[in-house]
Amino acid sequence: MSLRGFGLGAAFVALLPVTAMLPVTAWAHGPTRQKVVETVEINAPLEKVWAVVSNFQDMSWHPAFVKTEGTGGNDVNATRILTTKDGGKINEKLDKWDAEKKMLQYEITEVDVKVVPVTGYESWITLKGEGDKTTMEWKGKFYRGYVNNDPPPELNDDAAVAAITGVYKSGLEALKKKLEGG
Amino acid sequence: MLLRTALALGIALIATPALADPEPAPAASEALVTNQVSDSLSFVDLATFKSVAEIKIGGKPAGIALSPDGFRAYLTSPDGKTVTVVDTKARAVLRRIAVEGGPLGIAAHPSNGLIYVADWYSKRLTAIDPERGETRGQIDVGSSPSGIAVTPDGALILTADRDSNQVSIVDAATFKSVAAIPVGTRPFGITLDPSGIRAFTANVGSDDVTVIDLNQRNVVGRVQAGHHPYAIAFANGHGFVTNQSGGTVTVFNAATLAVEKTIEVGDTPEGIAADPTGNFVYVACWFANTLERIDAATLAVTGQAAVGDGPRAFGSFLSGASLSSANDPKALPAATPAAGRSEP
Repeated sequence: MSLRGFGLGAAFVALLPVTAMLPVTAWAHGPTRQKVVETVEINAPLEKVWAVVSNFQDMSWHPAFVKTEGTGGNDVNATRILTTKDGGKINEKLDKWDAEKKMLQYEITEVDVKVVPVTGYESWITLKGEGDKTTMEWKGKFYRGYVNNDPPPELNDDAAVAAITGVYKSGLEALKKKLEGG
Repeated sequence: MLLRTALALGIALIATPALADPEPAPAASEALVTNQVSDSLSFVDLATFKSVAEIKIGGKPAGIALSPDGFRAYLTSPDGKTVTVVDTKARAVLRRIAVEGGPLGIAAHPSNGLIYVADWYSKRLTAIDPERGETRGQIDVGSSPSGIAVTPDGALILTADRDSNQVSIVDAATFKSVAAIPVGTRPFGITLDPSGIRAFTANVGSDDVTVIDLNQRNVVGRVQAGHHPYAIAFANGHGFVTNQSGGTVTVFNAATLAVEKTIEVGDTPEGIAADPTGNFVYVACWFANTLERIDAATLAVTGQAAVGDGPRAFGSFLSGASLSSANDPKALPAATPAAGRSEP
């Protein structure tokens, strides 16, 4: 089971055609970048939410990931490896971490498109507080998993958007539940 | 075609006295912004700085070039495998030209009537007559050619070959690649400075800008940019580099190459173009869905206009900007049927 399990039910064939799996340069990508923006309102104060999501070395608030291992804490260029329930690995790097603006920006440096069907993924988490409520915005930009022309359906633009939308929605839902529950 | 010729001649005749005593170039009147996510083209009036029209394009448009007379816009749609020709005055699609592969980078020649289209998926550079919708030639440059620039005299076509880390120099008359110059890692946008002698590439991989002297045909400088630079424009003695991942524009001195300032703009700034007056620079911000105006004197953002979803505007996107080139008699053949004589 991959991260697509957290998606919107977009059918994904686990065994991709061999051609789709050929190694490609880390820089190659499709021509059309995709974007996903999801938000959630959490009944918890800003600092409490920030304390959880700002820790780049602990993604345990998201049910898709069973382990976070990394180095560099919350410093720029810190790295982490997320492990999914079925053992998929996602390598990420922190690009910005701003406690004042309550924002962090990171990117995937290495992932198999079987784990997440995207390439060139970058993401931002931004919090805005109002009283004892906090709005969290999670947004990402990325290209589809298939870097060449005429992608198979499981690695096309729609599949990439569906997978990331699923990750964001399930993560925000779980975070809200966790913070409002305790 | 006759109307276009007459218009071009008329402009040239009216402007003739200016040849002896050049007047400042007129300001651009409109920005034409390709919105890749919403599949459309936004027309932004630059006087009021508001979007005044948005038309459907299809095929996920990204690249854009304007004809030398400004009456046509040529848009690449990599997903649709088409070049769309737009009548900029009527704000209407005139025709769609089928091309192979993934058309992305595009540029118009200043005088021979042709446009050049780069194929993101291969090494292909295609010359097209956009009025007839015909391919006039096809050559290989480096891998994944991205940005294209044409020298003001029309002699050379330059391609930033992203996956070969080089710039190809193509002789426009023979349509043959004559040199390749190694640059930084993953060059994407390529822009000539106003002199037309130096070419600058934005290198997505090495987070810098490479400076090429076209007379020497070698690298003469480097500018440190922000994270994942995309494209470059020149105004008021400055170079402006969009940094996609940084949400910033790096400003450097065009003569000394010293970095002068980093300007915060909307998320994921991409296409950038300078007004011919040199007073303003316009930046399309892909994630913010804005076109932003930078004052080239104060280096501050002075305006934001909402556009469609996912603006890229990769190329030359200011209409009215190139109308000034009608002052140049060499530019006249662009609007005449005789343009076909200089086909490759």
